[in-house]
Amino acid sequence: METRFKTLREFPLDEYLSPGATMCAGCGGMIVLRIFHKALGGNVVIVNAAGCLTLLQVYPYTPLKSSWMYTAFASAPAGAQGIRDALDILMEKGKLPQGEDLKVVVLTGDGAAYDIGLQSSSGAIERGLDFYYLVYDNEAYGNTGFQRSGATPFGSSTTTTPPTNLNPAGYSGMKKDLFEIWRSHNPPYLATIAPSHVVDMLRKIETASGFRGPKLFISLSPCPTGWGFDPSETIKLSRLAVECGVWPLKEAVYGKVRHTVVPKVLKPVEEYLRRQNRYAHLFTPTRQEEAINFIQEKVNEYWLKVSATEGHEVIKPINLAEKQTE
Amino acid sequence: MRDVEMMTGNTAAAWAARLADVDYIPAYPITPQTEIIETLAKWINEGVMKAKLVQLESEHSMLTAAGTASLAGARVFTSTSSQGLLYGFEMLYNIAGWRAPMVLVNVSRAVAAPITLEPDHNDVLSARDSGFMQFHAERCQDVLDLVLMAYRVSEDRRVMLPSIVNMDGFYLSFTREPVGLLDKEEVAEFLPPYSHPQAFKARRHVVKGPAVIGGHLYTFFKHNIHESITRAAQVFDEAAEKFQSITGRKLEAVEGFLLDDAEYVLVITNSFTTTAKRAVVKLREKGVPAGLAKVVMLRPFPAKIIVEKLKNRKAVAVFDQNISQGFGGIIYSETAAALYHVKNRPETLLSVVGGLGGKFTTLEEFEYVFSLLANPDKVGAGKPLFLFRKDELRDVERAMKLAGVEGEM
Amino acid sequence: MNLKSIYPPHGIRIYWGPMLRIRFHGRGGQGVKTSSRILGRAAFLAGFLAQDSPIYGAERRGAPVVAFTRISDSVILERGFIFNPHIVVVMDESLIGDWLARPLEGLLRGGVALINTAQAGAPLEVSDSHVVVRLNITDEALKIIGRPVISAPAAASAAKITGLIRKKQVLEATVEELTELGLAEETVEKNLRLVSEVYDMTPHHSIKINEEPSRSLEVVDLRSDRVVFSDILEVGNAYLRKTGNWRVFTPVVDYGRCTGCMVCYVYCPDSAVKLDPDKKPVIDYENCKGCLICVLECPMRAITFVREAKAYA
Ligand code: SF4
Ligand code: SF4
Ligand code: SF4
Repeated sequence: METRFKTLREFPLDEYLSPGATMCAGCGGMIVLRIFHKALGGNVVIVNAAGCLTLLQVYPYTPLKSSWMYTAFASAPAGAQGIRDALDILMEKGKLPQGEDLKVVVLTGDGAAYDIGLQSSSGAIERGLDFYYLVYDNEAYGNTGFQRSGATPFGSSTTTTPPTNLNPAGYSGMKKDLFEIWRSHNPPYLATIAPSHVVDMLRKIETASGFRGPKLFISLSPCPTGWGFDPSETIKLSRLAVECGVWPLKEAVYGKVRHTVVPKVLKPVEEYLRRQNRYAHLFTPTRQEEAINFIQEKVNEYWLKVSATEGHEVIKPINLAEKQTE
Repeated sequence: MRDVEMMTGNTAAAWAARLADVDYIPAYPITPQTEIIETLAKWINEGVMKAKLVQLESEHSMLTAAGTASLAGARVFTSTSSQGLLYGFEMLYNIAGWRAPMVLVNVSRAVAAPITLEPDHNDVLSARDSGFMQFHAERCQDVLDLVLMAYRVSEDRRVMLPSIVNMDGFYLSFTREPVGLLDKEEVAEFLPPYSHPQAFKARRHVVKGPAVIGGHLYTFFKHNIHESITRAAQVFDEAAEKFQSITGRKLEAVEGFLLDDAEYVLVITNSFTTTAKRAVVKLREKGVPAGLAKVVMLRPFPAKIIVEKLKNRKAVAVFDQNISQGFGGIIYSETAAALYHVKNRPETLLSVVGGLGGKFTTLEEFEYVFSLLANPDKVGAGKPLFLFRKDELRDVERAMKLAGVEGEM
Repeated sequence: MNLKSIYPPHGIRIYWGPMLRIRFHGRGGQGVKTSSRILGRAAFLAGFLAQDSPIYGAERRGAPVVAFTRISDSVILERGFIFNPHIVVVMDESLIGDWLARPLEGLLRGGVALINTAQAGAPLEVSDSHVVVRLNITDEALKIIGRPVISAPAAASAAKITGLIRKKQVLEATVEELTELGLAEETVEKNLRLVSEVYDMTPHHSIKINEEPSRSLEVVDLRSDRVVFSDILEVGNAYLRKTGNWRVFTPVVDYGRCTGCMVCYVYCPDSAVKLDPDKKPVIDYENCKGCLICVLECPMRAITFVREAKAYA
């Protein structure tokens, strides 16, 4: 598909978020929302579920220059359904001019998307609701102080999975694969994005806009507060997540998957993990070799599969490759 | 279609939605409400009704969609029962807080556990603090009339709040009786088209549902809802007057039955009212000055009217088809609160709990309640009296034995 | 002090004596809550009854937050917000001009405003209404810990000003509180050094409080004919919040080096980088939160940063 976005030169200049939001300095979710909104334009109503970004709007302030509907934790997609259906039927009945139509966008964190609102998003996708869904995934319940969510990756410490002597590796479960759960619903468009990879993101939103029906985006959202890193490193971490292969950038059109950014050489995951306090226990006081290797192996496995199915050439990180030949 | 037709309460509810020309019906099945959405789905698919019906994945989602659609300017109808209402419960407060007018028909069904199908009012009364108005039906005709009334009151710019219209499962939902319809012109005269002053649309953006930090802001908006719902009592009266002028049918927040000179009065709601009326008639035939006050509008609570209807009576019983565990009847407590400041309040105020889980309350039981009113010493003051018959207890004991539970009650 | 005399076995006699009220003002992430807790625990260890509490809100790292400590030798018959503190601890000087925070509001006559500031000025200044104590805690923290973490030293400073709590008790409380937070031993050690330093740095001053504050009360009737929605119609108004005072460091563009590549504009989470007609970046200092993403991401290294130092009235 021909794209409008080749370099940052084409970056849209219209601004839909004013400064002054109460989000933490350096919040990755804010970067994604801002860029996402630019790509969609201004005729938008954002339907939100409880999460960090809910507090964008604290009466009487809003940074948004578009419309907003806060629903509840579990049911933002249903809220989007109500608005979309209402606009449709009102236009059909001639009660609302076509020019008053709005794009309906669901915006939630991972707690809503992976856990409490999964039922609601499943329903909306299955019904073919014409909407965008943007998940800002900071891999825990950030708004309540960083508790484990269905999006928390193996090894992360959260306030409900604290690493202790009994449990030195932190969270022992695996991150839910929301991409695959949603893909099984066969939506017209589904993609992962990352705030570091802006052109990739803009292109994906552009592609998505050509489809009617669910257009779903899962964005990595580095969270300086919860992950424990300096706010200036938000983009750096996002980039590392992609380069280490931890956060694959991909899209699926009617279920057919294609990776849009394929690292030629995978950087060792350690480079990504080391920069975050949520993984600090993997390195000090004692190095959790097994856990680190496990994370690396999962990443390797993933990319081997991708290479096999999509024919990309991905070179595994040196250290592990060496270990394997030993 | 005749202008009077045999129909169930469920069909009457569907007819009301059709007459109101609703735009949007988010739906989810649950017994005994399901027939309403089936009927509407059929009409829409046949093309006799122009609206969008969408089946959601839960009542929680259904109510969310209902609320947001109303804020986008659509006239919304939806219905549920019992567990469904409770499953979507948090959204009731949200919808009211959003100031999203809509009508929700609740077909009462007792709340599990134990799971059952027949009605009592713990489901609907649990919603009494949410900011929804509540109108309770005795007959199938009331269902139709009250839904139309509810739209008019909800959408009034002085109110802007959602409504619940309640009917009893089985006793109304599946019971047929003649129901009079309105024609298009009559509806148009009664119910102006819906619009929301701050609806979602492209040219003027609006943020709805922002957080408020600070109890004073929260209190301010909550008070505004309280004030608006209180004001709805007057809006209801205006609407009722209009409704009567068009249909000849009189609707009241509290309806008296043989009340004027009554000394012994029963306060009651919903479908058991019909049987209770029969008891009143029988007592009157025997020369007992019995009467009845049916509360139709539960929210806003018509305290003033109730006081007017109950003061100077000898004795009053409140029949609650609900139980606030650890206290007793809900409507009893509200009635008692309303009467507290009245000098010439009735000396006896008896609390009667019956009909839980749809347990049938017989004519004789209502007569018994009236007989107690003449002899209030027989029951302890303030204690709820549970109506339970000996034959019923025997049946329970039999069942317990079969279930393998030893011992007598 | 004997606790039994305060809670007599039959709970009959209640003696209500004088009480010190301390209000902490800071920004989310500065450890205001921890500060109030260290002070509370230190007072407790010194034999007083204490009460500490934060206020939770929409506060994120950087947003104004408050916390409270009450210290008394008898039953504390109060909770929640402190309207008339004897001591306000302003952990971030930029808050003084913040109309949402208003840290000095309600400070009692003769009370102490303890201000963490990088500004020069007399360490102790007595005016008619109150006393201002100026300390540069942040720089001390940067020196000893390497990061602007000031919860423990701020508590230490406040503790000294109460005139009731000794250094030993603050150190003990610091260890207990910071360990409970799961801080590494090494970090706790550094904090103790910092506490000690700042306690000593804090000038002596004994607070004399005679008046029991009383606020005038005017009750209003909320009745109105209006239906009021909690909607926001004035969209895009959040810039009025002026989050610029969240900053510790300020990014500065060197236009000599800037090529106008827009990277800083693209990545700023808060739309605080605007573009001038030549597409050169202009930082909106009223709202830039100082995350320094722009500094790190600028490919030309054209953005540097300086320590924030703001004047206050
Ligand atoms: S906690 Fe994380 S996700 Fe939430 S506002 Fe702060 S940085 Fe953003
Ligand atoms: S990133 Fe650097 S070079 Fe690019 S516009 Fe900003 S200041 Fe100029
Ligand atoms: S430091 Fe730079 S990126 Fe961060 S808010 Fe300020 S201008 Fe934006």
